[in-house]
Amino acid sequence: MNKFRTAAVALVLVMAFCLPAMAAELRLAQVADVSSLDPHKVSDIYSANVIRQIYSNLVQVNENMEIVPDLAEKWENPDDLTWIFHLRKGVKFHNGEPFTAAAVKYSIERIKDPKTASPGATHLKEVASVEAVDDYTVKIVTKRPFAPMLMSLTRYETSILNEKAVTAAGADYGSKAAVGTGPFMFESWSRGDKVVLVKNPDYFRGPAAIDTVVYRGIPEDATRLVELESGGIDLIPGNFPYQEFANIEKNDKYLTYKVPAMSTLYMGLNTEVKPLGDKLVRQAMNYAVDKQAIVDAVYFGFAAPSKGPLSPVIWGFDPARKAAYPYNPDKARELLKQAGYADGFDMTIFSDNRTERRSAAELIQAYLAEVGIRAQIELMEWSALLSTSAKGIGGAFMLGWTGTGDADGGLTPVYHSANIGSSNRFRRKNEALDALLEKGTATLDQEARKKVYAEAQELIVEDCPLVFMISQELLGASTSKVKGFKLYPNMISPLYSVTLAE
Amino acid sequence: MLRYFLKRLMFLIPVLLGVSVVIFSIVHLAPGDPAEVMLGPSATQEEITNLREQLGLTKPLYVQYGIFLTNALKGDLGRSIKSNAPVVDEIMERFPATLTLAVLGMIFAIAIGLPLGILAALKQNTWVDALCSFFALVGFSIPNFWVGLMLMLLLSIYIPILPSSGFDSWKNFIMPTIVLGIQTMAVIARMTRSSMLEVIRQDYVRTARAKGISDRLVLTRHILGNVLIPVVTIAGIYFGHQLGGVVITETIFSIPGLGRLIVDAIRAQDYPVVQGGVLFFALCVGIVNLLVDLLYAVLDPRIKAQYRAAK
Repeated sequence: MNKFRTAAVALVLVMAFCLPAMAAELRLAQVADVSSLDPHKVSDIYSANVIRQIYSNLVQVNENMEIVPDLAEKWENPDDLTWIFHLRKGVKFHNGEPFTAAAVKYSIERIKDPKTASPGATHLKEVASVEAVDDYTVKIVTKRPFAPMLMSLTRYETSILNEKAVTAAGADYGSKAAVGTGPFMFESWSRGDKVVLVKNPDYFRGPAAIDTVVYRGIPEDATRLVELESGGIDLIPGNFPYQEFANIEKNDKYLTYKVPAMSTLYMGLNTEVKPLGDKLVRQAMNYAVDKQAIVDAVYFGFAAPSKGPLSPVIWGFDPARKAAYPYNPDKARELLKQAGYADGFDMTIFSDNRTERRSAAELIQAYLAEVGIRAQIELMEWSALLSTSAKGIGGAFMLGWTGTGDADGGLTPVYHSANIGSSNRFRRKNEALDALLEKGTATLDQEARKKVYAEAQELIVEDCPLVFMISQELLGASTSKVKGFKLYPNMISPLYSVTLAE
Repeated sequence: MLRYFLKRLMFLIPVLLGVSVVIFSIVHLAPGDPAEVMLGPSATQEEITNLREQLGLTKPLYVQYGIFLTNALKGDLGRSIKSNAPVVDEIMERFPATLTLAVLGMIFAIAIGLPLGILAALKQNTWVDALCSFFALVGFSIPNFWVGLMLMLLLSIYIPILPSSGFDSWKNFIMPTIVLGIQTMAVIARMTRSSMLEVIRQDYVRTARAKGISDRLVLTRHILGNVLIPVVTIAGIYFGHQLGGVVITETIFSIPGLGRLIVDAIRAQDYPVVQGGVLFFALCVGIVNLLVDLLYAVLDPRIKAQYRAAK
């Protein structure tokens, strides 16, 4: 009995000491748990968010999607093919290893190695060689002038890893070990449940205010909201359900976050399918659909009609653009008549089963019927939709595009004819557009580049191998004790500057 | 008895082989593949081909099945495409949560369903019977995801006494247990009632009563044992059901169990995890059925005698 009493007293004492020193813990809920914390092996946004806190890149984007220094302090182009990066000194990996140019070389080569089969390899496919000039200087040479280089290096897929840590963990790297130079260090991962990160006391910009970060995967929208209301979590960094957002915005117990997303949703048209090869028909379809109705009905107002192929937050978006093809059913009928389809035609819209896309397809179906186009909807498995549409689908397809944050990543894969058979699902070759896109990639002067892309955007809107629809907004919410959180348009929001009020 | 057990255990082998063929075919013949899902809409054909090669998906299907089967016999179910972790580890990490939930759900179902059924039968055609039957009917009819959400609203928000999701303490299991067990509870209650009504009218019960044995003794000695056989059958079948139905409960309450693992893997077309997970489920259901059969022998001496005769 005495022993018990002693133990109880000791426990109370320990608890008493612990209470005032309670660590600042930030608990977030995403839609899914991470799949791996090896940045070179993943391609999902939920892993990306956690990876962003653990690792650094040569350069980064800020909340306006502008490029800012990270591990590289400065950079220059001695010629159009060469990029020299001057690295920050005194940076340490979480395992104590110093960060040097060798780590950059190792990381880039690991991504490019076909054995890694990195989903991020595509961002570095123009890299010909990478060389550590000295400990703090890296030289990257590209195969051709490649202006989007910096944006590629901001991607989470191009995070800088430590060779020793990767070799030591072997196949377990990313599940049992993850070593970067970022503000938070990997502590534990209980699969399917949560990832715990702790503050890196040696972070090169100074330690973060938060001691512990817990990322949980909660797939049910309703459960995520209940957790936020009951205090089980502090922050939902994106994927807040559209239909609930207006309510929570009114509630002053919570802070809400809203930014335009990098992605756009559209209905692509396989231009090899009759009569979708006819530009007049495509333009008619664009006029026939009321995009604002999709914004209101599907996104509860948290979206905007597309102003062209790029979301307004993508670098290179032409701010002079107006909404593409405002709703005008009369003009649509007239164009159809001109094209010789006064009585309309039959077509199929393919979509996967996601609520928003399916609902948007149903609305489009109704609007097309108004001008005499009889569309059927066919639902497909997501991966089947991807591969079938790449090979040429039998009609129209609902798809979203996120890109890289740079106009090149938003346009070249989708519209350049070299990508017919893979990501150019419209199967449309437009030589003038191809030339512009190539010029945009090769022009290192960023202002001149913007002009090239403005022209390209105009050309795409006019040619419209797709029905333009909407750019959605990213929504998030937190309890009011979370301070300094910024939701990033790419949905990968750093937590370094977040603090927790008592 | 032991021989019977071993014989039944041997029967599991062809069952599992069959399951492995079926699941392997379904997974591989379904449209789409993991490389495409992983690389997303911007992937080039070359990137997809390279990843497929790294994942061993370019080999002929029967070769892939052969590799899968030989490795599976050695206890190696491959590595997850998505996380690169060994599938066996993934399953073993997730299984305790699912098993705990299924067992708790079953205990809940029996603990409530059995007394409810007995009570209804003893008070047949009274308001007690009607109430019990109504309760069972409601329990069976309402969708369990709705029960889950309502419980969450009530016990996490209006009267905040229970956490709404996660896997940290025993409190996390209360709501999921109810959600998972409620349908089985209803079935067991109905089953117990009808089985009771049948047994009560048997000659040996009347005889026992005629001998002047107290009601309580008649119930425990003469009725219950016979009532339990159909109830155990149902419980066994529904245990398998619960292992499958656990995915909804796991999703609502964010419990990192096996059901969610498999559903997530299906979405990502993570072949090895789907195959391994389903195979493991099949093994579990097989073992549960076996245990139920053995339990009959304990409950019913006639069945035990048959095992002896079969020797």
